[in-house]
Amino acid sequence: MNFSRIAHNLNYVFSVVLFLLGLYTIAVKPNLVKKIMGLNIMETSVFLFMVSIGMVGSGNAPVVTEGVKPATMVNPIPQALILTGIVVAVSTTAVALSLCIRIHEHYDSLNAFEILGRDELF
Amino acid sequence: MRKAIMLLALAGIGVMLIYAVGEMPPMGDSGNPDKTHVAPRYLEHGEEEAGASNVVTAVRLNYRGYDTMGEVAVIFCALCAVVAVLGREKTGLSRTHMDVSRVKASVVVRTTVRFLVPVIIFFAIYIILHGEETPGGGFQGGAIIGASIILFTLAFGLPESTRKIPLKSRVPLESFAVIAFLAAGFTGILFGANFLTYIMPGLSEHAAETIRQVMMMVIEIGIGFAGGIIFTSIMFAMIREDKYELQPDSS
Repeated sequence: MNFSRIAHNLNYVFSVVLFLLGLYTIAVKPNLVKKIMGLNIMETSVFLFMVSIGMVGSGNAPVVTEGVKPATMVNPIPQALILTGIVVAVSTTAVALSLCIRIHEHYDSLNAFEILGRDELF
Repeated sequence: MRKAIMLLALAGIGVMLIYAVGEMPPMGDSGNPDKTHVAPRYLEHGEEEAGASNVVTAVRLNYRGYDTMGEVAVIFCALCAVVAVLGREKTGLSRTHMDVSRVKASVVVRTTVRFLVPVIIFFAIYIILHGEETPGGGFQGGAIIGASIILFTLAFGLPESTRKIPLKSRVPLESFAVIAFLAAGFTGILFGANFLTYIMPGLSEHAAETIRQVMMMVIEIGIGFAGGIIFTSIMFAMIREDKYELQPDSS
C-alpha cells in the first residue's frame, strides 16, 4: 500500500469513511428515517469523491474571465454531474419520506422490525 | 450478531476502498487523467460553442442538455409520486403546530422572517439570471426560493402560506420547467436544426446569438421557478399535524 499517496488523497479517505458510515446506518439501524439519513450520507460521500477528482491545486472556478488560463481551472464536468446527482438525491429523499409518512399512519411505527412483526431479520 | 457481521463486511469493504485510494493519482494535480480528454476542450471552447462564460452552465445546458432535461423530469416525477402517495395539502383543515400551539412564534421571529423572505427571493432571482456568467443557475436559485418559502411556513403556518401561494397558482408553474425545455428543444427542430440545438441555421450571426441567449434564459428561469415551487409543494403535502388534533388553548 502506498501510504504517502493515501495521506495526500485525504478527501478520498474521508469519502470512504462517509460511505462506510452511511452503509452501516442503512444496514443496522431499524428506524426507517435513520435509514434514509444513511442513504443521504452515502450520496454525499459520492459527491465529495467526484468533486475532489476534478480539483486543481490552487485553481480557479471554471468561469471564463480575462487573465485566467484554462489550464488552472477546475474540471467543470464533475460539478455539472454532481448538480444532477444532488437533485436526484433530493427527489428520492422526498419520495422515501412521503412513503415513511404513509407507513407511520398505517402501522403507528417506523421501526422496521415492528412493521415486519419479528425481532431479527436473520 | 447483525452488527458483528455488518462490521466485518464493512471492514473488508473499507480495506479494499482505502487500498484503491492508495492507487489513485495524487489529488489536485493538473495532469490527472480526468483533465486530459474532454475538460480542456470544454474550458477552451465552451464560451463560443455553448454561449455561457460559466463552463458548468455550458456543460449543463448545452453539451449535456439531454441529461438536464431528464433531471427536470425526475424532480417533476418526484412531485407526482409524493402527491400520489400523500395527496395535496388540505386547505382549510390543515393546522400546523404553529397555529394551535400555546407558544406562538414570537414577534421577533415573525418580523425577521417577513423582512428576510423578500430579500432571499431577490437573491435567488439574481442567482437564476446570472447563472451564465457567475457561479449559479436554475437549480441553485430554485433551492433558495424553496428554502425561503419553507422558512415563511415555519414562522407563519400552513394556512397563511397557502393563502399567499394558493394551489391553483402553483399547478401551472410546477410543469413549467419541462414545458420550457421541450419548447426550446422543438424550436430547434422547427428552424431545421436538431433537438435542443440553440444555434439556428440560416440566420445572421447576431440574430442567432440573441436567440440562443433568450432560449437559455427561458430554460434557466423555468428550472429555477419550477424547482422552487416543486420543493414548496412537496413540503406542503408533507405537513400532517392536523392528524394529532392538537387542541387550541383550553386553559
